[in-house]
Amino acid sequence: MSPKNTGVYLCSGCGIGDAVSMGSLEKIATKEFKKSCKTNACLCGEEGLETIRADLAGGVNQVVIAACSPRAMTDRFRFNGTQVIRTNLREQVVWSHPANDEDTQMMAEDNIRIAITEAAKSTPPEPKVEGEYSQVVLVVGGGHSGLTAAREASKAGYEVLLVERASQLGGMAAKWSKRMPVRPPYQDPQPNTVATLVKAVEADSRITVKTGCTVAKTSGMPGRFTVEFSDGSSQTVGAFVVATGWRPYDARKLGHLGYGVSPDVVTNVEMEEMLAKGPVVRRSDGKAPGVVVFVQCAGSRDPNHLPYCSSVCCGVSIKQALQLREADPQVMVYIVYEELRTPGVAEEFYRTAQRSGVIFIKGTVKTVDAALTVTVDDAMLQQEIPLSGVDMVVLATGMVPNSTNVEAEAPEVEEEKLRPLKSDINPYAPFAVAGTGAPPLTPPEEKLPEGAPLLNLQYRQGPHLPMLAHGFPDSHYICFPYETRRSGIYVAGPVRRPMDMGEAAEDATGATMKAIQAIHNAAYGLALHPRAGDLSLPIIGLNQCTKCRRCTVECPFGAIDETDQGFPQVNSTRCRRCGTCMGACPVRTISFTNYTVDMLGSMIKAVNIPDETEEKPRILVLACENDAYPALDMMGIARHQFSAHIRIIPVRCLGSVSMLLISDALSVGYDGVMLMGCKPGDDYQCHFIKGSGIAKERMSKVGDTLKSMALEAERVTVAEVSIADSGRLPKVIQDFVEMLDTFGPNPFKGF
Amino acid sequence: MAQLNRYFPKLCHPTCGLEINFQRIRRNPKVKVFTLASVAAVTGERGDYTVTVRQAPRYVKANCTACGDCARATEMKVQNQFDYNLGKVSAAYLPHEMAFPMRYVIAPQVLGTPEAERIKAACKYDAVDLDEKESTFDLHVGAIVWATGWQPYDAARISPYRYAYLKDVITNVEMERLAAPNGPTQGKIVRPSDGVAPKKVALIQCAGSRDYNHLEYCSRICCLASMKHAAYMREQSAEATVDIYYIDIRAHDKLEAFYRKVVNDPHVRLIKSKPAEIKIGPDGGPVVCGENTITREIYAEPYDLVVLATGMQPAGVEGVSGAPVDAYGFIVPEDETQGIFSAGVASGPLDVSMSVQSATAAALKAIQAIR
Amino acid sequence: MTTMSPTPTRPYDLGFTRWVYQNIDGGDRMALCMQCGVCSGSCPLSTTMDNGPRKTFMMIRAGMKDAVLKSDTLWNCVSCYNCVVRCPRHVPVAYILHELATLAVREGYAPARTSETNKFVKGFTWSFETFGRTDERIISLFYYFQDGFVAGIKKLLAFKSIAFAFVKVGRLPLGLPHRIKNRGELKKMLAAAAAIEARHTAGRK
Ligand SMILES: Cc1cc2nc3c(=O)[nH]c(=O)nc-3n(C[C@H](O)[C@H](O)[C@H](O)COP(=O)(O)OP(=O)(O)OC[C@H]3O[C@@H](n4cnc5c(N)ncnc54)[C@H](O)[C@@H]3O)c2cc1C
Ligand code: SF4
Ligand code: SF4
Ligand code: SF4
Repeated sequence: MSPKNTGVYLCSGCGIGDAVSMGSLEKIATKEFKKSCKTNACLCGEEGLETIRADLAGGVNQVVIAACSPRAMTDRFRFNGTQVIRTNLREQVVWSHPANDEDTQMMAEDNIRIAITEAAKSTPPEPKVEGEYSQVVLVVGGGHSGLTAAREASKAGYEVLLVERASQLGGMAAKWSKRMPVRPPYQDPQPNTVATLVKAVEADSRITVKTGCTVAKTSGMPGRFTVEFSDGSSQTVGAFVVATGWRPYDARKLGHLGYGVSPDVVTNVEMEEMLAKGPVVRRSDGKAPGVVVFVQCAGSRDPNHLPYCSSVCCGVSIKQALQLREADPQVMVYIVYEELRTPGVAEEFYRTAQRSGVIFIKGTVKTVDAALTVTVDDAMLQQEIPLSGVDMVVLATGMVPNSTNVEAEAPEVEEEKLRPLKSDINPYAPFAVAGTGAPPLTPPEEKLPEGAPLLNLQYRQGPHLPMLAHGFPDSHYICFPYETRRSGIYVAGPVRRPMDMGEAAEDATGATMKAIQAIHNAAYGLALHPRAGDLSLPIIGLNQCTKCRRCTVECPFGAIDETDQGFPQVNSTRCRRCGTCMGACPVRTISFTNYTVDMLGSMIKAVNIPDETEEKPRILVLACENDAYPALDMMGIARHQFSAHIRIIPVRCLGSVSMLLISDALSVGYDGVMLMGCKPGDDYQCHFIKGSGIAKERMSKVGDTLKSMALEAERVTVAEVSIADSGRLPKVIQDFVEMLDTFGPNPFKGF
Repeated sequence: MAQLNRYFPKLCHPTCGLEINFQRIRRNPKVKVFTLASVAAVTGERGDYTVTVRQAPRYVKANCTACGDCARATEMKVQNQFDYNLGKVSAAYLPHEMAFPMRYVIAPQVLGTPEAERIKAACKYDAVDLDEKESTFDLHVGAIVWATGWQPYDAARISPYRYAYLKDVITNVEMERLAAPNGPTQGKIVRPSDGVAPKKVALIQCAGSRDYNHLEYCSRICCLASMKHAAYMREQSAEATVDIYYIDIRAHDKLEAFYRKVVNDPHVRLIKSKPAEIKIGPDGGPVVCGENTITREIYAEPYDLVVLATGMQPAGVEGVSGAPVDAYGFIVPEDETQGIFSAGVASGPLDVSMSVQSATAAALKAIQAIR
Repeated sequence: MTTMSPTPTRPYDLGFTRWVYQNIDGGDRMALCMQCGVCSGSCPLSTTMDNGPRKTFMMIRAGMKDAVLKSDTLWNCVSCYNCVVRCPRHVPVAYILHELATLAVREGYAPARTSETNKFVKGFTWSFETFGRTDERIISLFYYFQDGFVAGIKKLLAFKSIAFAFVKVGRLPLGLPHRIKNRGELKKMLAAAAAIEARHTAGRK
């Protein structure tokens, strides 16, 4: 690479030139840093851009732009791959501070220093691509979701390997005689399409099917997973779609509802089998039932069984009731429900059942006895009603995710590796509700579902897929349902969240899209969500590494494994480039080429710290670039004013901030440090899942360090800042500034 | 979606995900974005469509820097549509702080007035173009994904609820704006009539949904949205009580936990009843009337604030979509044969997470069509 | 008397329910009721009803034939049609209540003879059969005096002030009502209606 030739470009538009002295800013670049520097009245305008382009043609190969926020005009300040470093003079300086004020000027000047320092210390990353990358999508599970995923991947031109535990394809839904309608007019049960799908998969030359097979072991990373199967074979694949589906809740636990007490109490799955076989008859005497009662939420929405709603059972009972009514117009069918859940266009399915004469009773079934008397607490009639003369009871049992392989035995795994997986399974985070005297709901105990891990990941962080509540390996994000903590592995269908076939097919297609993206990005060295397209990677200086294992433990994505010698080893395509490992490393030997320990440290030190007699405190704000930094921008857009004593440096994630960086800042004379990041904990909002939580934990130990420096512990604080906090931030900052005032200046100033 | 304050069940801010997606689009030269644009016609077939796009004038050119001088140059205010007209905004405005693209818009009402000239003169970059006209252009594409979403059902049409007459009867989307820190009240939930924080609030489910007179389908999200609104209220006030009137609470899958969490609060009461009417009380405030279907009691309960959980209606693109539409207006393409797909609420009443699922799926379908 | 509706012997026996769904005008739509309560909540007389329409529909599902047909709900409906226009499932609530009242009369359930509504209806019928039009004064008089002369005078006096007020503003003309022309035609229409009703009843299952 040719030596750096950095051009600095200042914009005086948007009020910048009216509020600060451009001449002084230029001098910082030219005199202090000896860089060429040009100012334009509208740098984003054609003329301004032309100036930059001309310089690039003339040999400049790195551009520093001091203008608006890096979040603005991104498309304009893009020059064919040239590295562009930007600093914020507009939103965070002149729009949020008084014009022509000494402090505002100093802030702008420091931002120029920070940016030029960043440029000096940053090298654009080269993509890391080496060896072969597999383009194969491995679909685990051959039910409706898995079959759909396989077909959709194939239609997009990708090779697919589909493994199914059972001896045949089709999964649970293959048993259904009819399916719920998904197309207008959304009224009648429709022919089941699973068999057609199975045929299509079997006929598809791009799809290889292995039945009677499960995954025994998985190692590697996106683009290069090595998978061993239960049949002893192995293959390299690019990405996973996990569609292992569900199993019915064990009805034997529902004795109070008559299961096991009378043979004529059946589950909805058993009813499906009966419907498929044709005319439905009682198991006890082979007679056609004249009166059938469906019991909804049998085991679902029940803290003693499955606390969640299984989503499909209302629609399923309606489907089965309609089928019974169609087969025999005389049969009396009742559906006893607490809440009838036919969301969306399925409301029409509910009406169809009513129209056909199915009777819906809102109430709770207390018991079902051996004589099939169904005792209902009838909510509408406000009395306990015994339904007698019943011939058959159908329990609408719910869905349990196959997030483990219950048919196989769990291997021995060190407790250390299971801990983090266990502690995640706790969704009952209390959200802030002021002043309620309500007793908290008891959170479920931490535990992993029984059975063997699905993919048996040979990862430092354990063999299971991370799971949320009740063992669903789901994403925690509303906006990013395919965010995954195991890069390249996407879970789809009811194993992720209870859902019907219509939604499962869509989900499987979505997950396939993500798998294809993972395969593509791996081959080009590009990061996945949320830093999609990033090329940078953590580089670990092994000669300094003390094998403390902090990085392997803290990586939120399990991207780092340990070699046999105990050294950390980054699996590049698993890495999401958050920098948590960099923040974790006590000997500071982890860095990215464009985001280094030295770079951050130097940027911090680039700020001019006035000595204590000047009464100009300096406060360092390290702001998460995804949420806090935009919030700071929006303060400017709304023209909220905030203290000019703070210096803002964006970070990839608070997780990338180490304790050492903080003590460095204090040792050069900053009066305080504020870390702004996303909400940690169970309802975390950190895009890197654990980053802000880890930072908070690290900082909770900062007191000792500060004590050793004879500084007040409160000089360092972590502020939970959401992107919508621009209105609240000025006060958060002001309060911190005022508190620091009471401590007086940092005695390290001037050292 | 940017108009929502927070999402159930995490109570996190939509702009958080939006920022990530905007960043991606900004960085990706392969994505072209047209705003103020609507599709006028679609012709062609899978792999080869011509889409005629009509773009309304913004009266601000692409070189706008979003400095805001235009907004400060005029006193004229127009209804703030981003806040569902709950407040006003300058006639030269930035739609919101996260607007994409980050450019101002000039309200057409100002044209021809001296204010327009004042706005134009204020722009140092000559970015204001008052003569801009609607333009029409064609795009040639291989596949189309309709993700045109929804609009809130017009609450004024549910005449017994007197939304048009009672100031303190608002809709759930208005509640989102009232609770939003960047909303008309900086996030403080107040009654529109007098700006006082309400102490007794009613949330009315199925306001227009599951109703042959209005929207025949269930909008899916309103139950959870109301749980969220109960949470907003309770966060802001330790005394406030919230009554939720409902037919069935549809807290599907794991969202059941959120519902349980909210109704576990003794200040939140569930009343199984679809209110028949909202009357005007002696003090001019809303009085919710109906039958409690469990106790059979006929109630007439006065409230400080009533929130109608209005449903989602698909943004009407029938006629231009080039794909079949169901009786409700949702786009339901026949797979494979066409290269036209739908995603999100354009395809059916979905929540955000399901919308993203369907959008990701639609992206793959579209890619298959142009392969 | 024509065929009676079946009488269930156990809760939620659907014999009566199905009979009602099939034989009562609007009964098929009653099947769509989702127990939301809008009808009962909309009814101005709801507080005077023992069950109200919504619960009546649930009771029909539960096979509570006696309780339904004895209920005053059927008689207290004043035909304001609030329920009909508001019902989210387009159940013709008021019409169904009238049909049920007719059924109650036909099947000999007591309130038919004594209920105030029934007495009022008699006056109403007499008025249009006699004059070819409904005249409020005639209907009121007929209605007041059905329980004997003294009771009639008492009721009249109770409404004295309202009546005088009406006279003052010209809303209560004195003098006999006009008969319509062609009363014979009206008689034919009424006869035709009765025939239809009889046919309907006979055809019931
Ligand atoms: C009674 C009932 C009736 C229903 N009827 C309908 C309906 O009419 N319409 C509708 O839309 N929805 C219906 N549903 C829901 C519907 O069945 C599910 O949405 C559907 O089964 C989802 O398909 P899937 O492929 O994700 O899961 P599954 O059908 O469970 O398929 C998963 C597959 O993965 C395999 N597998 C599991 N573990 C492993 C492993 N470790 N390795 C390899 N393979 C593995 C399994 O053997 C199975 O073949 C019904 C649900 C119930 C309870
Ligand atoms: S779908 Fe219906 S039956 Fe199933 S758990 Fe949910 S509410 Fe209960
Ligand atoms: S901590 Fe972040 S940057 Fe480091 S290896 Fe893990 S994912 Fe990559
Ligand atoms: S309004 Fe209609 S749906 Fe609601 S309870 Fe009455 S009849 Fe049933």
